[in-house]
Amino acid sequence: MNSIKNICLLIAILFSMPLTAQRTFSSLSKEFNTLPKLTLEPGVGIHTNFGTDFLITTLIQWNWLDRLSFASHSSFNINNITQRSFNGIKTRYNYSINQKLGLGTTFYTGGNSHSVLLMAGIKYTSYRETLEDARFEPFGTAIHALSPDYGLMYSHKKIWKKYFFTYRMYVPLYPWPAKGSDLLYLEGNMDNIALEVGLGIRII
Amino acid sequence: MKIFKTLKGMHTAGKAGMIFLLMGSCEKVEFDPALKHEFTIQSAADGSEYRIEVGLPAGYHPGGEKYPSLYILDGEENFDFVSSQCSEISDMLGVQNVVTISIGYGNDRSLDYTPTEVSAETGGGPRFLHFIETQLIPAMEGYFSVDTSRGSRTIMGHSYGGLFGAYAFSVNNRLFGNYILLSPSLWFDDLVSLQFEKQYRTENKDRSQLVFLGIGEAENLGRMQAPFEAFYQTLQSQYPHIKLTKNKEENLGHMGSRNPNIVKGLHYYFQNR
Repeated sequence: MNSIKNICLLIAILFSMPLTAQRTFSSLSKEFNTLPKLTLEPGVGIHTNFGTDFLITTLIQWNWLDRLSFASHSSFNINNITQRSFNGIKTRYNYSINQKLGLGTTFYTGGNSHSVLLMAGIKYTSYRETLEDARFEPFGTAIHALSPDYGLMYSHKKIWKKYFFTYRMYVPLYPWPAKGSDLLYLEGNMDNIALEVGLGIRII
Repeated sequence: MKIFKTLKGMHTAGKAGMIFLLMGSCEKVEFDPALKHEFTIQSAADGSEYRIEVGLPAGYHPGGEKYPSLYILDGEENFDFVSSQCSEISDMLGVQNVVTISIGYGNDRSLDYTPTEVSAETGGGPRFLHFIETQLIPAMEGYFSVDTSRGSRTIMGHSYGGLFGAYAFSVNNRLFGNYILLSPSLWFDDLVSLQFEKQYRTENKDRSQLVFLGIGEAENLGRMQAPFEAFYQTLQSQYPHIKLTKNKEENLGHMGSRNPNIVKGLHYYFQNR
């Protein structure tokens, strides 16, 4: 119940942001018609768990109204790249796929745009570890897990004509507080903060 | 009221943010202080002082019925949560509660909980186990109304604590009859805990024991899952009198899975001991 309240409050924060932005940037809204409406932004990134995950991502953003944006974020993550063999333990494969949809607001300052988006979707993780040591019988185990994926995304674009440089940061809100309020769950959030950079193109 | 006065003067987004943070903050579970005893024991081997906290069941009377005992590693972090859960779960199941015994840090945990020396900060496990066997357990069983049989003693540990529990299982199996091992660091020192299990298997395999193994599904750094599975499957196939189960906590990592696995481990213990 507490988790549901937290999510509701988070949505309230998000939707209070356009009001703040409206006051601050109202003079710029006249320029909306000249700014990108639909963008495609491929990128690469890392997670903050010591940077051992490599992310290949794409954000598609549709700035529907002056202050209302929709987005789709897809990510294929090759996890734990740097340590595939340790003490006789081998990681055969380790990847995850995330797909999220979201909405939020975008505001503009000069040649830059800033979007804050509340995202929700699913994450599929699959990995397999085997024990390969002559002293013991061989053992193996595989995990295939599906989990929710909620969070806040900040996307910054440095616009240059039809193209732009893009930087994104995604802060998950799962497992804390969506799964439970135990602060130890924050470990899962911290490990999955994503930092991404890419080059985008304006489609419309 | 002071909080709401503060909120009144804030911007809408700020207010919502503040409420969000307040609601998200975690209430710390505290075990009933009236049922808690606290003292220190000095290790005869190295002079280290261990802070021991003891949680007694409600209705405990010295000289009355004998209670099973649960020894909790990383006790300074886990004592209140574990003791409170023991009361709740035993009440819910209508079974006898345990005396919880929290072992605080006399040394760095990486020294006390690791069985072999791979650096200056590791390898104190044998000395720590000797301290538990020769000083702590006799003190507890002499002072409190605690059952002195092996089958009534349980050890619980997480991470390096789980590794220490697995070490105790193998090298001194006559000490504890029940093991709650959470995300055990079985990868340590080239899988030395699996070697110990193999080395002492003949002595231990015919004893009755209960083992709960817990881990987080998201512990995917390439070292936790395979030895966990190897240990589980070995116990299952080689120990005919064992009560054994495992739990992989969904979508949680090394720390996040700790408390849910404590709760599940205690449920398994109270239902199957």
